[in-house]
Amino acid sequence: MSTLLLLQFFPLFPMDQVIFQLNGQSVTAEVQARTLLVDVLRSLGRTGTHVGCDTSQCGACTVHVDGQAVKSCTVLALQVAGRAVTTIEGLAPATGLHPLQEAFSACHGLQCGFCTPGMIMTAACLLRDHPAPTDDEIRTAIEGNLCRCTGYVNIVEAVRTAAHALASGSKA
Amino acid sequence: MSDSLATRFGSGQSVRRLEDPALVTGRGLYAADAPCEEALCLVLVRSSYAHARIVSIDTAAARAMPGVVAILTGADLAQAGVKPFPIEPAFKRPDGKPMAAPPRRALALDTVRYVGEPVVAVLATTRAEAQDAAAQVYVEYEELPVVADIERATAEDAPLVWPEATGNVAAEMRHGNAAATAAAFEAAAHRVRLKIVNQRLAPSPIEPRASLATIEPGTGRLVLRLSSQMPAGARNTLADAILGIPKEEVRVVVGDVGGGFGMKTGLYPEDAVVAYAARTLQRPVRWTAERSEEFLGAIHGRDLESDAELALDANGRVLALRVASRANVGAYATPTGIAIQLMIGPWVSTSIYDIQTVDLRIQAILTHRGSTGAYRGAGRPEAIYIIERLFDAAARQLAMDPAELRRRNMIRPEQMPYRNALGQTYDVGNFPSILDQGLALAEWNGFQERARDSARRGLLRGRGLATFLEWTGGNALEERVWVTVTPDGTIEIASATQAMGQGIATSYAQLVVDVFGVPFERIRILQGDTDRVNGFGSAGSRSLFTGGSAIRVAAETTLDLAKKLAADALEAPATDLEYRAGRFEVAGTDHGIDLFELAGRQTERRIFVDSSTKSSGPTWPNGCHVCEVEIDPDTGAVEVVAYASVNDVGRVVNPLIVRGQLDGGAVQGIGQALCERVVYDSETGQALTASFLDYALPRADIVKAFKTQLDQSIPSTNNILGVKGVGELGTIGATPAVVNAVLDALDRHGAREHLYSLQMPLTSEKVWRVLRGLSAEA
Repeated sequence: MSTLLLLQFFPLFPMDQVIFQLNGQSVTAEVQARTLLVDVLRSLGRTGTHVGCDTSQCGACTVHVDGQAVKSCTVLALQVAGRAVTTIEGLAPATGLHPLQEAFSACHGLQCGFCTPGMIMTAACLLRDHPAPTDDEIRTAIEGNLCRCTGYVNIVEAVRTAAHALASGSKA
Repeated sequence: MSDSLATRFGSGQSVRRLEDPALVTGRGLYAADAPCEEALCLVLVRSSYAHARIVSIDTAAARAMPGVVAILTGADLAQAGVKPFPIEPAFKRPDGKPMAAPPRRALALDTVRYVGEPVVAVLATTRAEAQDAAAQVYVEYEELPVVADIERATAEDAPLVWPEATGNVAAEMRHGNAAATAAAFEAAAHRVRLKIVNQRLAPSPIEPRASLATIEPGTGRLVLRLSSQMPAGARNTLADAILGIPKEEVRVVVGDVGGGFGMKTGLYPEDAVVAYAARTLQRPVRWTAERSEEFLGAIHGRDLESDAELALDANGRVLALRVASRANVGAYATPTGIAIQLMIGPWVSTSIYDIQTVDLRIQAILTHRGSTGAYRGAGRPEAIYIIERLFDAAARQLAMDPAELRRRNMIRPEQMPYRNALGQTYDVGNFPSILDQGLALAEWNGFQERARDSARRGLLRGRGLATFLEWTGGNALEERVWVTVTPDGTIEIASATQAMGQGIATSYAQLVVDVFGVPFERIRILQGDTDRVNGFGSAGSRSLFTGGSAIRVAAETTLDLAKKLAADALEAPATDLEYRAGRFEVAGTDHGIDLFELAGRQTERRIFVDSSTKSSGPTWPNGCHVCEVEIDPDTGAVEVVAYASVNDVGRVVNPLIVRGQLDGGAVQGIGQALCERVVYDSETGQALTASFLDYALPRADIVKAFKTQLDQSIPSTNNILGVKGVGELGTIGATPAVVNAVLDALDRHGAREHLYSLQMPLTSEKVWRVLRGLSAEA
């Protein structure tokens, strides 16, 4: 049998199942071994997580896996089996906005909005681990998130503003 | 009108954007987000050669792969009557014949002319299947000689990119008076001459291009969803020029656009393939660019090499400007790419200076590279960079303060309106005032102390200045608006300008609040649907002054009409009626009618106005940008440590948004100055910067703070709002301000020998070399 016919009957990339927590709910997805986490999230309708590059530089795909900010373009879907994934859609509390979402708008920390979910997810992780970051620490934390519109200064201000809001008791 | 609403949500207020709630919660609708489960996924096989003949294309193995539905080649499309992209021959070649460039096709036919040119389209039920199949397509190429840079393309007997473009010159244009300029140079006390390179840039919006083509049930029309700044233009090019079908058979829709910057102004070959495939297969088709495809196949900006000279008298008055430039427009030169360098940039070449004697010569050179086109500033950054570099070099040569030299040559307010040597008329401006304000904001006179402080920390400090203006409007000064007041309590504004992050929906809503005094939430801005709106789209910083002016006029016209209708409804003369915050009342009574209820009473259950407004000319925003840098002498690393700008932007609708455009734009300009460059290998034409690993975009540490001041005291007289287009201003000013600062630092340090060997981007390696008495590049 030729290699090609073999491929048709025995696919190179068989389907697998991955079960994980997505924004607090259990989901099951059919994926291949090579399927990226970002692709499975988007196929599950969570299109707030964006693909902006193909070499892991831009950070538009940033989500939380077990609370850690990761670039979902560099995580295989199967790697999150049994884990908890949070996307931008799962960040806000039951009503209203997360202080970071509020601050990004108030400080004009977004223009086209494409990098914004990734920026916010990275910042959320930073603020959870470092509730009172300096501006330099904020810049270092988001060095893996590219923005082409804002020039970053308002983004740093938004994170600083959210840090103050969280410190003074706003719900995260 | 309600005072509190007008003051809180009207023009002049930093109103929070109505675009934000969806975007911060991940509910934006970018082109790749639109759901379409049944869409076929299209993946392209691209040329890996800069110049080659396509000998054969073997798709047999690919066709047998799982999930593959169709495979298309350039020959298939040509046979089906798909035409190349149109080229209006707006320019001429040196011998007077029409400009010449190879026809740009949706898929390459017979010959490829740049690395990354689309050759084969593979359609499969999933993207992964299409990618697997694309890897099985075998294209046999016969390599042909490559000219990838201007030097090689213009060498004697250079291989030709396109036979009609002899010498690889696609087009040429001259401006000014060569003889008078030569005479001025002869007589000049001082002459300054610089070689200036405005390097090729990748606009790099973070959202890659994406298209989704579906067939509308019932009508069979093609509906094409794009990430585009110009939906109507895309539709017209696709329908008329490429597919040869009536415009009415195509609808283009645009949702959220993740940055455009000029890169998303035209229809792309990939869009045409997607559209053709959907129509032919009668199935939905989608394509999303990978980032490498953006670097290879999306248009690039700038790429201009210039020999620039300034002639001055003994007092530092400029007598003449002479510039000979060659623009590397790539192989499939676009009309826009050519116009930007031959015409648009030259229009502002003398900037804010009173220089009436000029000699400009620009050639568009074909090479085996990707095409150039519009990128933030589009010609004006190049021109302003040239003149601002010349002024600083002249100041250095004449041992004059760079601010004083500029002031001495500025057009004075009493000379307004001023017709420049290129035939452009500036309506208003007070350039000396903006310079004074800029120097004050930047604490220009405190530099020495700051330099001493930098030196104590082992760093070299420099300061750079850019005073400049820019041309806005994209040569499209008319806009059309459709206003609909509905019984359910909304005022819908339909505009053919296009949002891409610049916040125009919010600014437009503020303008509507100015007129109607209704709550902000009642205003809906509709864009991005050629079934509802058609026009030029958004480019050249035109949206607020053309679109916004049209909205002001249309809103006022609608209110006038509503007043007449209210008079009928209330059976009172219109002159007796007062309007306030959504309600008409007979003066002195409480007999009245709500605006939205009035709309419900009309036969069509709405109050509707279709109104066009034309602005009377471009707006001429201008500024003074001052940058200070610190250089680490051990590494050559440059840091921007202070950036102050005063910007004459006319009236301001939303200060927060305007500052965002200026500062965000400035960072793009700093990116050109310090880190960005599209690189092609000179020998092979191979694209060497096709990812964010190799192409250095500015990151969060690029600038810590901006001091940005807006001067609203000189409104534009070319539009009823008095605003000036601000989208590109920051980018234009930042590049020369930063480069001048670096050169200043090096000059102060004594590193003068190879100072002018420095070309952008001013990487640490180049600066390090010049500090050590070496030429910037080996």
